[in-house]
Amino acid sequence: MQIELAVTVNGQQKRLSVATNRTVADLLREDLNLTGCRVACDGEVCGSCTILIDGLPAAACATFAFEVDGSFLETIEGLAENDVLHAIQQAFLETNAFQCGFCTSGFIMSVKALLTVDPAPTDDTIREWLKSNICRCTGYQTILDATRLAARRIGIPA
Amino acid sequence: MKAIPKPKRVAPERIDGRQKVLGAVRFTTDFSLPGMVHAKILRSPVPHARIKSIDASRARSLRGVLAVVTGADIATMPDPFYGVGIRDQPVLAIDKVRYVGDMVAAVVAEDEATAFRALELIDVEYAELPALMTIADALSEGAPDIFEKPSSGVSLPVGAGAQSLKEPSRNVLYEFRYARGDIEGAMRQADHVFTDTFTFSRIHHYHLEPYVNVARADAESIEIWSCNQDPFILRNDLSRMFGFPLHNVRIHTAMIGGGFGAKSYCKMEPLVVFLARQVRRPVRLCLTMDEAFLTLSKHAAILTLKTAVTAKGRLIAREADIKLDGGAYSDASVSTTIKTGYRITGPYKWDAVSTAASAVRTNTVPGGSFRGFGGTQASFASESQMDMIARRLGLDPLEFRCTNMLAPGEPYAPGDSALDSDFEAGLSKAAHLIGYGASPKKRGRGIGLSVGLKDGGGTGNQALAEIKVSDAGEIMVRAAAVEVGQGVGTVLGTIAAEILDRPMTAVRYGEIDTDHTPLDTGTHVSFATAVTGRAIEQAAIDVRNQILDFAAERLGCDRAELLLSGWKILRGNQSFPLQKMLREYYGPVGTEFIGRGRMKILYDAAAPLGSQNYFWMPCWSAAEVDVDEATGKVTVLKLVVGADAGRALNLPACHGQLEGAALQAFGQSLFEELAYDGPAPVNADPMTYRVPLVTDLPGEFESFIEEQGMGPGPGGAKGLGEAGMLGIAAAIANAVEDAVGARVLQLPITPERVLAALRARQGDAQAAP
Repeated sequence: MQIELAVTVNGQQKRLSVATNRTVADLLREDLNLTGCRVACDGEVCGSCTILIDGLPAAACATFAFEVDGSFLETIEGLAENDVLHAIQQAFLETNAFQCGFCTSGFIMSVKALLTVDPAPTDDTIREWLKSNICRCTGYQTILDATRLAARRIGIPA
Repeated sequence: MKAIPKPKRVAPERIDGRQKVLGAVRFTTDFSLPGMVHAKILRSPVPHARIKSIDASRARSLRGVLAVVTGADIATMPDPFYGVGIRDQPVLAIDKVRYVGDMVAAVVAEDEATAFRALELIDVEYAELPALMTIADALSEGAPDIFEKPSSGVSLPVGAGAQSLKEPSRNVLYEFRYARGDIEGAMRQADHVFTDTFTFSRIHHYHLEPYVNVARADAESIEIWSCNQDPFILRNDLSRMFGFPLHNVRIHTAMIGGGFGAKSYCKMEPLVVFLARQVRRPVRLCLTMDEAFLTLSKHAAILTLKTAVTAKGRLIAREADIKLDGGAYSDASVSTTIKTGYRITGPYKWDAVSTAASAVRTNTVPGGSFRGFGGTQASFASESQMDMIARRLGLDPLEFRCTNMLAPGEPYAPGDSALDSDFEAGLSKAAHLIGYGASPKKRGRGIGLSVGLKDGGGTGNQALAEIKVSDAGEIMVRAAAVEVGQGVGTVLGTIAAEILDRPMTAVRYGEIDTDHTPLDTGTHVSFATAVTGRAIEQAAIDVRNQILDFAAERLGCDRAELLLSGWKILRGNQSFPLQKMLREYYGPVGTEFIGRGRMKILYDAAAPLGSQNYFWMPCWSAAEVDVDEATGKVTVLKLVVGADAGRALNLPACHGQLEGAALQAFGQSLFEELAYDGPAPVNADPMTYRVPLVTDLPGEFESFIEEQGMGPGPGGAKGLGEAGMLGIAAAIANAVEDAVGARVLQLPITPERVLAALRARQGDAQAAP
């Protein structure tokens, strides 16, 4: 069965027709070609597919598309503006907070949600938030560095 | 407001970095072709059985299903078997299944959901056989044969003092033997002989990008877009299995989203090609993570070490009996067995050595490549026992190691290459960083050291490489070393950019395509920096010479008078912009320079493995733990890991590789395990299989990179991608004994095992007079 959806994706309003058994990850990756949303465990465990739904992190692989009717979705593709990296992306780049890059979109989106809620998080708060994302490559230290650096930069008024 | 500390390191930008933080990398999972259809696999629910019948008629009649393929179809291939050396794994099970998860049938359908539904409509009748779930089961009297007939392929060749035996006895896939010196005499002459047995656990790679392949085929050609990290090995396998000429098989390799060994060597790729040929449409097969758990694991192992020492603590001899759980099929078990057997003596001097290592077939997930294979198993056992012996003799574990250690320049074994790292210097540094011997011991706290060892670069491996340089000085690096996250494109690009005096912004790493990319023997054994690096160095020098020759001719002078600097030709005080010179000669399209290089590790029959090892990889490890004697819980307060880069071509990437590997080993040490209870693994899914999270990090976690400059790569560089995996488990086990006197001989070091070891310690104390 198909249903009609109205969603805002990275600031653009979309009207879409999707099957009821399709997930938000299917919608983003296959219908909208937003492949920066990575599907790994496909079971709401690893955080690779993390996107923001109405500002909060969510597993796109475990959310049905029909659930996001009327919502605002943010994906990794919406962060950079005119090819200028977002402060979080820049921080990940500078601190080498990625290796294979498969988990990176999800981590960056989790950090974005965290810094919106708490612009100056303690280390414990950072760990509590980021434990919903798995990185098998880095050993996490550079991801913590990136998050601290991004928080510091975003915290400074322009 | 609390000041937020600065990041420790500001890294030079990786050439794949922007694409990765933008989420813009196209992995193989993102690839599709017009008209592409989808495959799914039916897997065996039983560990060991004959297939009595398969009825796929209901599945075939489901709307949207294009084909159902079984072992009977596969058996018509020119060669339906694959494996490294010994080739015993069929593309789909033929007549028999050998583990829970074995591939029995495949469905191709218009979409994945239909393919999934069709799997449920295939009826398979099994006649179950006794399941051999452990090494002991498989070797027990009266155990059935997992394979009734010898398999095709060969055991890998070895050199002086070593033997390589294919399928020597029932359910033994392979045995490696190595001996030197008078082992019996040495054992007799020793003051002490200690025999200890260690059990190494099975873990899964948990790579995030799934196993994924898209294939198309026609009567003449095969083309596959694969996440496999060995494009040229795969090309060979597909060519042999389908009977196609090599150049009619084309492999495309995108960046890989994590592998750690899981994506090495042939696996489900021939199946995808077979299906594409069957349905005459492009076919995509993307495994779920649950299926990945059933595809490959790190070898579990039982290692018994009998080690002879003098009263003063000089090592004399070691006998090792090693049994690896190879699982149901060969995969990379042969090379893993060789490496475990050969590395078991660690970086120490011995009068005599005798090791026998075998890979035993069981009805479990195949064992194969996993970061540091063989070296991890050997280092855990050897470095645990080194500590135990020191404590039994009342010697300091650090001093005991250093007294017996090989110095740089001393050969690892007669006929093999000399150590090219100062193992003692690095271990002393790790000891210093952990505060070894610095403060009085606190109750329940302990410090453990270990020095892991592995050979690197591979046995007889080779790499070809090419660089294409535009007249504007842009460098395209072409090599088959696959970007798995280690940063290989950046490292190889750095080598070329240095020689041509270009900035890293001018470098690109070409996408791998076997029609165009120069060949190598696969992205393995921390190989690319040193081996491919050498080939790139030659290619860049080749281009520099071509440029200087061109300029010398144009300027009518000798090449020796000229320098290439900042994309200008310098002649004394004169400077000539290079692009301008080139355009004046070649016209407005300009030109390109193509440079080539090749590096081959030579065979040498006098070396125990048939080729002198290219470089040696130390893993200096230290752990400080707190052990709760009431609960058995081990808390790692501080973890230190160090490696020798020879020369670090990208220091942040070196730290990243080292820390990432160390955290994988840390998980395996304390909690991570793919556990069997009965015929199937109990936690073969991402929800119940536990890997380290950011909240699991040790209290302090420090990595250090030595640049000792003795490696064979450019500028003394060598690889270290696997290093961090080698020494961590033994360091933690040693720290636990230091803390509470309890020795855990089996991974992971769970609270239950610590409590059992504490009880055993108390039992010993009561039994003592």
